[in-house]
Amino acid sequence: MLSSIMKKEILENILSYRFPLFLLICAVLIVSSLYVHYLDYSKRVSDYNEQIRLAGDALASSRMADIHFGAIPLKGFRPPAPLSIFAAGFESSLPRFYDFQADGFKEGETSVGDESVLSIFGQFDFLFIVQMVISLIVLLFASDLIAGEKELGTLRGILSNSVPRNSLLMGKLLGGYVSVWMPFVITFLLGVILLSVTSFPLSDSGIIARVILVFVSASLFILAYFTLGLTVSTSSSRARTALVAILLVWIFFQLVVPKLSDMVASVAYPIRTETVVSMQKFFIVKALDEEKGKLLGRQFEAIFGKGYPLSNNLEPAAKRDEWNSYKTQLEQQYRERKAEQLRNLEDSHSREKQDQQAIASNLSLISPSAAFTRFLTDVCGTGEIDKQKYLDAVKVHQQTLDAALYSHVSKTTIIFPGGGTASSSSINEFVDIKTLPSFSVGRASLSEVFAGNMGSLISLVFWLIAPFAVAYVRFLNYDVR
Amino acid sequence: MIQAIDLTKRYEDNLLALDHLNLNIQSSQIYCLLGANGAGKTTTINLFFNFIEPTSGTATINGRDCTKEPLEAKKYAAYVSENVMLYGNFTASQNLDFFTKLAGRKDLKKEDYHMVMRQVGLPERAFEQRVKTFSKGMRQKLGIAIAILKQAPTLLLDEPTAGLDPKAAADFIELLFKLRNEGKAILMSTHDVFRAKEVADKVGIMKEGVLIMERSREELLHEDLEKLYLKYMEVS
Repeated sequence: MLSSIMKKEILENILSYRFPLFLLICAVLIVSSLYVHYLDYSKRVSDYNEQIRLAGDALASSRMADIHFGAIPLKGFRPPAPLSIFAAGFESSLPRFYDFQADGFKEGETSVGDESVLSIFGQFDFLFIVQMVISLIVLLFASDLIAGEKELGTLRGILSNSVPRNSLLMGKLLGGYVSVWMPFVITFLLGVILLSVTSFPLSDSGIIARVILVFVSASLFILAYFTLGLTVSTSSSRARTALVAILLVWIFFQLVVPKLSDMVASVAYPIRTETVVSMQKFFIVKALDEEKGKLLGRQFEAIFGKGYPLSNNLEPAAKRDEWNSYKTQLEQQYRERKAEQLRNLEDSHSREKQDQQAIASNLSLISPSAAFTRFLTDVCGTGEIDKQKYLDAVKVHQQTLDAALYSHVSKTTIIFPGGGTASSSSINEFVDIKTLPSFSVGRASLSEVFAGNMGSLISLVFWLIAPFAVAYVRFLNYDVR
Repeated sequence: MIQAIDLTKRYEDNLLALDHLNLNIQSSQIYCLLGANGAGKTTTINLFFNFIEPTSGTATINGRDCTKEPLEAKKYAAYVSENVMLYGNFTASQNLDFFTKLAGRKDLKKEDYHMVMRQVGLPERAFEQRVKTFSKGMRQKLGIAIAILKQAPTLLLDEPTAGLDPKAAADFIELLFKLRNEGKAILMSTHDVFRAKEVADKVGIMKEGVLIMERSREELLHEDLEKLYLKYMEVS
């Protein structure tokens, strides 16, 4: 019984004009999008390699002192994510590199600056095609699944036989889904075959597993939308009514919920902007430097007397040793205080951001599209997990450089009680740049992706089960008049 | 074979569509239900196929309760509606194949489909033609073919001759007699008094959900059915 209904559903779809049209749309969009994004990825990889080479050359031709004092910043580049060809995610909005200096790290440029105003529509990648285009087409396919049979009158013909309603519903769901899934499968495979004949690192470790995950999650997402369409179709007596209802559902889940969740979170839980935090950091550093400078000035006058010129040949030796010892201790003390206060500020801001993002994230999970986007971008290494990993790697690298390089540099500003100031810089120990660890960013493992996406996965599973349950109850109790 | 005992249906909006209907149709018998629109004819058929549930009473087909064991009861009944609706993109054979498989006939071949389509009078060229090109009469014939292939002992027909041209209607009636002679119990709802008189072994007139009159073929030999119908329709 189930197989007869499934076969009929598949045959009916294949014989309609919709099937070849959908196949054509999938083929054109998915295959061309993967190929264009592959070309873009290849260019980004070659840019990345060239930037690393040029940065190495720049360091080699620079004065060691400039590097130690931070006049020439050390750069840490982020390699392009291969699977960004499926889901660009944060790929273009993340800095391509960070500058590491004695007074902290600074963001480098992003790819966003290279794009036109049309980039506000989002990237036309596989994620966009599945999430926006295929989801809509799938809903349109599903709109007349039951409502069409009711309107046409064939439902009476079917149910005049010993056909259990649950078998009919399940047969129509599975048959209809296979009809829309087949074009997707065919074109996805075509896209992957195309990638395999290019230089795309498809055979690199973990890539194939992730491509399979991309395929499986996209298939489940399509099924979730198909089930949603089935529910609307079951609840409507006319295909046109179902179509209108389905368009409203699509707008709500695709456009309203994901955008509204960020807005609601920012209104309900406002946090400091990056600019404010940056200014607060500046004032912390300035206040501590001033405080340190004044203490140094007072101590200098106490040791050497008023008006003693600050030079490298401080005499007598005993006083010089006393001064150097005091200065070293104070600098160490203030370096630690500065680091602690800046860390506290960054940590509190980071916590605020995480809390706000958690609110936005949880709200957005109402939408299967948002859940799918979060999961897919994380699988592709362009989502929130890898963004955080990049930032964490930057912080760790800065700490490493502080300990290995910048701690050997001392910059001293003395503010004398009388109002005069004097500055001196010195390198306590030269460090061979080649011995410094190079910057590296680890990609999130699949277990991290799953652990970080439990909410998204639960949301997707919910949207697979709940609409079918509603459709089931409604259809079982439907009066065929 | 087809039996209704105090069958009643009241909809959610309190409309009483069927009020204590009692029917008993035996094998080799054609029962015609006459009545105006909204009299309760289609509701009666809907209840036999469990398209809707009765408020009270019992409907049985071949002794099976249509509410308690609907799937079992439907095995013994075939249905032809006023507008036989089929899948337009399917050919006549494909439609037959789908609906007969739903009816549990998985042993049939294309030749069987062709044979029954010949039997109901469909032209050969239509067998593998898409149904969306069919006229109403051709669809109706295909609907009858589906019902015949189900090989159910009872047939429930909801205004099957409505909209058919005289030739198609005459062919249909001829087919109906043949099915009756094969021993089938047939319940046919219709507006057509003349057609009812022609084919029915028993006629029932319904008004506002109530079966207000019942006559056998023998009784009708001495009465004018049209006059009776009009008389009962006028009584408030």
